[in-house]
Amino acid sequence: MRRRPTTALVIVATAALAVSACGRNESGAGAATTGTDVTSGQATGTITVWAMGAEGEKLPELAKDFEAQNPGAKVDVTAIPWDAAHDKFTTAITANSTPDAAMVGTTWMGEFAGLGALDPLPGNIDSAGFFPGAQETTKVGGTSYGIPWYVETRLVYYRTDLAKKAGYTEAPTTWEGLKEMAKAMQDKAGAKWGIGLQAGGTGSWQTVMPFAWGEGAALDADGRYSFDTPQLLKAVQYYQSFFTDGISDKAAPAQPTTEPDFVSGKVPMFISGPWMMSAVEKVGGEGFKDKYAVAKIPAGSAGSSSFVGGSDFVVFKNSKQRDTAWKFVQFLADPKTQAKWYGMSTDLPSVQSAWDDSALSGDDKLAVFGDQLTTAKAPPSFPTWEQVVASFDSELEKVTKTGADPAAALKTVQQQADSIGTGQ
Amino acid sequence: MTTTTAPPAPAGESTAPGGGRRTRAAARREGRAAWILALPFSLLFLAFTAWPVLQSLFMSITDTRSRDLRTPFAVDVTGFENYAKALSDPLFLQSMRNTAYFVLVGVPLTLTVALAAAVALDRGIHRLRSVFRLGFYTPVITSIVAVAVVWRFLLQTDAGLVNTVLGWVGIDGPNWLGDPTWSMPSLILMATWRNFGTGMIIFLAGLQAVPWHLHEAAAIDGASAWQRFRHITLPLMRPTILFVSVTTGIGYLQFFEEPFVMTNGGPLNSTISMSMYTYKQFGFGNYGYAAAISYIIFVLVAVVTAIQFRLLREER
Repeated sequence: MRRRPTTALVIVATAALAVSACGRNESGAGAATTGTDVTSGQATGTITVWAMGAEGEKLPELAKDFEAQNPGAKVDVTAIPWDAAHDKFTTAITANSTPDAAMVGTTWMGEFAGLGALDPLPGNIDSAGFFPGAQETTKVGGTSYGIPWYVETRLVYYRTDLAKKAGYTEAPTTWEGLKEMAKAMQDKAGAKWGIGLQAGGTGSWQTVMPFAWGEGAALDADGRYSFDTPQLLKAVQYYQSFFTDGISDKAAPAQPTTEPDFVSGKVPMFISGPWMMSAVEKVGGEGFKDKYAVAKIPAGSAGSSSFVGGSDFVVFKNSKQRDTAWKFVQFLADPKTQAKWYGMSTDLPSVQSAWDDSALSGDDKLAVFGDQLTTAKAPPSFPTWEQVVASFDSELEKVTKTGADPAAALKTVQQQADSIGTGQ
Repeated sequence: MTTTTAPPAPAGESTAPGGGRRTRAAARREGRAAWILALPFSLLFLAFTAWPVLQSLFMSITDTRSRDLRTPFAVDVTGFENYAKALSDPLFLQSMRNTAYFVLVGVPLTLTVALAAAVALDRGIHRLRSVFRLGFYTPVITSIVAVAVVWRFLLQTDAGLVNTVLGWVGIDGPNWLGDPTWSMPSLILMATWRNFGTGMIIFLAGLQAVPWHLHEAAAIDGASAWQRFRHITLPLMRPTILFVSVTTGIGYLQFFEEPFVMTNGGPLNSTISMSMYTYKQFGFGNYGYAAAISYIIFVLVAVVTAIQFRLLREER
């Protein structure tokens, strides 16, 4: 008779799980949960893994190391083009045909976790070694659903040779300083535009938010969107002033020509991520490496911050090889693997200790990225973030191009964000 | 002969002509065969066209979002809320205005260019006709995405070929795709260039069907080339023009790839089209709302097509 209560408990628990899994509010809001521990020992079985872009092409090579360490395991990598990836994931989730593990863009985490597709991070996988901002991108409603795989953050790029002409030997650390330097580039160093800033449109929030975060803005205060704040207003006003003062081009072409403009000196400053290093050096040719430098985003009253992006690695709930999949993820998070992966892909490691590797610590410019990453922040992980931020980008375009009032623009964004809701 | 095909007629039912029963049986057989032959298509049609159409019609009156697809019966029926929301959504209204601009300027322009090209080819130098016909038609069979990417390069502000050529004659070319005044004209220009070939081929066939003796008679009576075109060719071409304008109109009302590839709806939402807005809403996971918008587009296409039929069918 001792069995009965246990059986009853199991039935109740299963029923509760079934009910909670079918309801509309399965987005994981509420108490944080951790997944069951991953078993120790070697991984076995075959797992399928999806990865996008260049990462998808190079990952099979890295996976060979995993297979060598775990002779019983096999990793099947499917490379997916970036533009098709989001649709492919949502279709797979709807049809219950997800892979075992996958690389996922940081801004998609909220949506996929909201769909109930992701397995929570097992409690015995250590997540303390990652950059805090990057670790935050894996969290939805307090629960972590994966690991940050690689990271990127945005810095100010500037031409050191032209800066010298303009009277600067190093980049300023304040808002006013940055603007003065950009102006001096126009006045004294012959630049057409002082600094290349995106005049609104898709993704421009990524350049504005670092300034707002530097002022201490929080986009998800009290579990709802908050755009209509003094901090964000200050950042948008500052951003707008570059366009109204003629320092940035409000009619920048739809297809940015950042690299050639930077090399020719037409636009000797811009804000972007680490991939731009190889891009400008490719256009600039031999020796261009020594003609530019990178600097942290100038600090606001709350310090210097930037946008942290990159990709996370997740395991799907439907995985039949859950433990092998998490072991593969564990392998990807290993500092040694991360340093090796940097060598293969130039993707920046998300594990802080991997930065001790000489390939990274020996590079002055990379060191600045590493420094900025310690304070870089991620946007809120609400499932509707992509939709809400589209309206922010659209309003920002009016602010930069037509001189619309930043306060009114933020009110509009706030209204739209409220009517869209967080989706949780 | 089997019993199923021609059973002996029972006595007392001989009012029908002798072959009546057999014919009916044969017709039944034929009917069965027809159903069997039509079955594969019908099933595919029901499964992949009719069902989705009905499903999206239902979806358009619910608040379905992407996460509801796994639990389809958990959605709330909201009636016409989505439709009301669309008609007060500033961005959707903007997309309607943009689409109207594209159609009202693009369709007549494409038709005029297509007709002009067809007339030129019909009357032009015979040896080169096939070369030109191929040249004008090639854009139609080229992938629209490839065309759009090439045009994006051509229309670049500083380095683009168009502005370079304009620079040679001393004109400072505009920021084609980055300036809200020029973005839509740029897209219309490209769409016209790409699509007039279809109309041209059909017009060419129509022109060749115009009886030559009517032209000859009119010429003898002293009608000028323009008069002959105006009073003989155009009236006889009316059905062809109707066909081309309806098909072009339907295509242009749903234009999508041009802004999607070239401008992403910008600058300042000046090129976002109704189809693109639907696509965006689907992308955001607002399936119910997107379905409502696509039904609005469907109704608009039907109305515009009916108007075209009215305008061009009269005076037949």
